[in-house]
Amino acid sequence: MRPVVECWSDPFKPNRENPLSNTHYPALSGIDAIQQAFESAGYICTTRIATVVRLAAALEKPVLIEGPPGVGKTELAKTCAMVVDRPLVRLQCYEGLDESKALYEWKYGKQLLYTQLLREQLGDVLDGAKGLNESMNRLHQFSDVFYSEAFLESRPLLKAMEEDNGGVLLIDEIDKADFEFESMLLEVLSDFQVSIPELGTIQAHSKPLVFLTSNDTRDLSDALKRRCLHLHIPFPSIELEARIVASRVPDLAQSMTDQLVRFVHAIRSLDLKKAPAISETVDWAKSLVLLHAKDLDGSLVQDTLNVLLKYEEDIQIAEGQLPKLMAAAAG
Amino acid sequence: MDSPNTARAAASSDQLLAFVQYLRGKKIPVSPADTLDAVEVAELVGYQDRALLKNGLAAALAKSRHELSVFEVAFDDYFQPIPERPPAGGQSDAKPEVSSANPSEQPPQKDPANPGEDPLEGLRGNSLFDALESQDESALSLAIETAAADAKVEEISLFTQRGQYVRKILDALGDEALREAAIEFEQSEPAAFEVVQALREQLRERVRDRVERAYLIHASAATEDLLDESLSKLKLGNVDHSQMARLKRLMDRMARKLAARHGRRRHRYRRGKLHVGETVRRAIPTDGIPFHPRWRKIERKRPQIMAICDVSGSVAAYAKFLLMFLYALQDVLPRTRSFAFSAALGEVSDLLATLPVEEAIERVNLKYGGATDYGRALQDFSELALAEVNSATTVIVLGDARNNQADPRLDLLGEIKSRARQLIWLNPESPRLWGTGDSEMLRVKKECHLAKECQNLKQLERVIDKILSDRR
Repeated sequence: MRPVVECWSDPFKPNRENPLSNTHYPALSGIDAIQQAFESAGYICTTRIATVVRLAAALEKPVLIEGPPGVGKTELAKTCAMVVDRPLVRLQCYEGLDESKALYEWKYGKQLLYTQLLREQLGDVLDGAKGLNESMNRLHQFSDVFYSEAFLESRPLLKAMEEDNGGVLLIDEIDKADFEFESMLLEVLSDFQVSIPELGTIQAHSKPLVFLTSNDTRDLSDALKRRCLHLHIPFPSIELEARIVASRVPDLAQSMTDQLVRFVHAIRSLDLKKAPAISETVDWAKSLVLLHAKDLDGSLVQDTLNVLLKYEEDIQIAEGQLPKLMAAAAG
Repeated sequence: MDSPNTARAAASSDQLLAFVQYLRGKKIPVSPADTLDAVEVAELVGYQDRALLKNGLAAALAKSRHELSVFEVAFDDYFQPIPERPPAGGQSDAKPEVSSANPSEQPPQKDPANPGEDPLEGLRGNSLFDALESQDESALSLAIETAAADAKVEEISLFTQRGQYVRKILDALGDEALREAAIEFEQSEPAAFEVVQALREQLRERVRDRVERAYLIHASAATEDLLDESLSKLKLGNVDHSQMARLKRLMDRMARKLAARHGRRRHRYRRGKLHVGETVRRAIPTDGIPFHPRWRKIERKRPQIMAICDVSGSVAAYAKFLLMFLYALQDVLPRTRSFAFSAALGEVSDLLATLPVEEAIERVNLKYGGATDYGRALQDFSELALAEVNSATTVIVLGDARNNQADPRLDLLGEIKSRARQLIWLNPESPRLWGTGDSEMLRVKKECHLAKECQNLKQLERVIDKILSDRR
């Protein structure tokens, strides 16, 4: 009796033998452990973030991070690379990004140069060949020389696949890329492989951790969303933000940090063109340290508001509401 | 607490599938692959920690911010009853237990008079009765789940079927024996009768809970769909206040769907002239032979919408919905300008941008109210904005074209038509009434690219879909 040959894999059968054990990233094996490791790396994360990172490592699925700018989406991926101690490969998306910049390109110049240099060798190869057919057959034996990995220029996506011990792949601001690019990503994200017509399919040596970030400027396709775990990072609560500022700017006095964070939260409730994000809060805290500020008073706030708000009209709105904001900051 | 937990874990995979079903009812599209992910996630994080499970499932099932907010509410609704039941049951059980303590004390006193001992003794050994008496949570929930499965409670489709299914499940549980015992005790043993009846009432309460949950999961979605469907076909002028909330939800959903369908095509280009520099650069690998010509792009523009709405009494309701719809689509149609008129006409874009649509319409009505005069309105519009009407503009006029015998100024309409990309007239009246009485619709129709009836939400959705698909 002939053995049954499995000719295609069942798409609904997960091809993971045991999803519970993950040997790649031992640092990401428990939620509390993740929170601690991230905190010591300077990134304070909520349980939700830690849970998703844990699941991403265990299920080997990419994570799609959405949220307003400046809440630490990119930072999460960087910190993750630091925690697992693997290289971070970053792909910044923009309109017009295509395969040759994201996946791979042939080193055309090198190919041309080599054909020129090897011209003399051609005589040796074809030496003694009779007729066109035989010469052709001889040439065929070498035809793949110029389309081999030696002439392949790896771009970020392929580079992430080639990392031997896995790595962290960050695809930043995917919403800025074209729809076509998004479709091309599907193969990479679901099977961790890249198809190169001249070479065949290249499988990832070891599956990288993949993070995609999006600023919500447009809806991503359902197909892409389906392949990812979804994580939405909102603006943090007052307590969390105070912890973040304290860890990032330890020189600022505790009372000052609390005031500052409450002030920022009050500002976010105003109707602004762009609400200040965590990164702006941290910048503001740093500038206050530089100015040796002892207390958050009105004139100081007025002078440094431009660190926090990036539009003139926003600054004007905030200045109009300054007494109310200061009251909120005082608690 | 441990035993119910393990019992729960056994039934939890089914629970998870039912929850997915429930989410679909809430209009979160969960694919089979998502479901598999959710099962894996649940295996990984376990069912013990509720917050952990919620976070994990959210990552696998909710794919956008909107879906996340729906998911969080749904998760809390769906998984609420289980952790809450023990305390709630415990409280209501407190009384029966006191009363059951009494008879168990009483029979010994009665013993000499009544040699039959504890009348409840005959019922002991009945597994259902034992479970109820000892308040064995896991045994009870397991029994109810099995009975519910036997009674095919998932086939429930109407709210009125609840009683019937409660009866079926009770029968499957073996309530019959308890009922017979109760009848038997009613005359002879009033104390025992009380106890049995109290326990039966508890059981009934649990079963009713179970059936209601089944209704919520399996049938409420279908009922909701039915209501939505009929509402979307209801004349917008007849929508009353109680239906407004539902209608708004429906409209938001339609708007989200349209935005998703058309938003993505933003980067659609038409081919322009040859891009010489790029073509030469691309020809380097082929030794200067341009195998891959590169073309400049001409971006396709989204239509700019100018909506001119009649806000006089008969048409105001429709104007409200059209404007609400257009403003729900801000993401896809960012440059919408709106004008309102009854006698005179004015631009109301700013008003609409700052106020909720309903309030804005009322203000507009106060400002521009009066007898409808299309001629004057078109005249005002020409002075105000005709210069800005160009080949990327779609002008939508909403009105019944009943002009009180005045001159409708078709010449102005013709001019708008010649300048605009599209002139669309939406009329809330059915086409059969066009041209009757003082309606100028038949003449107006000839001056427009498209004249459509828009009585209900469905027709409105179709028209806007058409506008969005049309771009150059």
